[in-house]
Amino acid sequence: MNEAEFAYRIRQALDEGASQLDYTVSLRLEKARNAALARSSATAAAPLWVPALQLAGAGGRDSGASGTGFSSWLFRFGLAVPLIALAIGIVGIKQWQNDTMVAEVADLDFAVLLDDTPIDTYAHSGFGVYLRDEKPSAM
Amino acid sequence: MATRAELSEFLAGAERRAFKQALFAVRDQDNALDIVQDAMFRLSESYSDRAVSELPLLFTRIVQNAILDFFRRQKVRSTWITLFSALSSSDNEDSDPLESLEAQPGSASAESAQDQVERGQVVGIIEQEISRLPARQREAFLLRYWEDLDVAETAATMKCSEGSVKTHCSRATQALAKALRARGIEL
Repeated sequence: MNEAEFAYRIRQALDEGASQLDYTVSLRLEKARNAALARSSATAAAPLWVPALQLAGAGGRDSGASGTGFSSWLFRFGLAVPLIALAIGIVGIKQWQNDTMVAEVADLDFAVLLDDTPIDTYAHSGFGVYLRDEKPSAM
Repeated sequence: MATRAELSEFLAGAERRAFKQALFAVRDQDNALDIVQDAMFRLSESYSDRAVSELPLLFTRIVQNAILDFFRRQKVRSTWITLFSALSSSDNEDSDPLESLEAQPGSASAESAQDQVERGQVVGIIEQEISRLPARQREAFLLRYWEDLDVAETAATMKCSEGSVKTHCSRATQALAKALRARGIEL
């Protein structure tokens, strides 16, 4: 008798043994099976719709047919809103910085124009150094 | 994706074999039932979205892993007991209990098998001899010939080479045939 034939006969004996389990064992196996199935159905019965931002951490919870429509749109919208707000914020800060810089330059120009400096002075090469050195004392 | 009815039907068909395999390995009915229940929970919680055709191999692997987990926990527990006991020795601390686990005469399983022998059931003797096989040989033999896995699937489940699977199966067959002959059983 070769290995396969021997194994086949052993298998028949094992099947016979498995079919003759004690009643208590069969009952406990049945209970365990039902408990396992209840866990499975509890997972499947989870609500299909969850808040959009919560979906990001859920990892593909929207497996149901109705979960792929409205909730996925909310999910995308929920991601897009903070990105748009961030972009608007960055542009606003840049604009505010530009306005501030322009206002400072304009103030300087205005102060220079109000002064009674002769016009030829502006063409002098040392006038910039003079303004830089004299400005703190003037203010 | 397996429906609840399909999953139930699959578990109803596989639970008895799983219980027997766990019983052969751990030789304690309650522990074997716990292992099967744990395996059922893992399958239904984590893999119920798989196709029905994938369930047998998945469940087999889960059961084998649950049996291994049981022995690991037992090893950790015995390590702590050894640590706190002045009487115990630590000769086999690094050995894998699965490689050398032998049935102990007088254990609950042996007594149970003796009752079966008294009732003249050859099945009981065969089960007893299977439970006496070294763990890796028994695991390979049952996966290959009872669960109908091929050599590659058995090797993947046991996390060993295909050559090792063939060797384990061959040795298990020889040992089993010899043990049954010694007890007057010719198949």
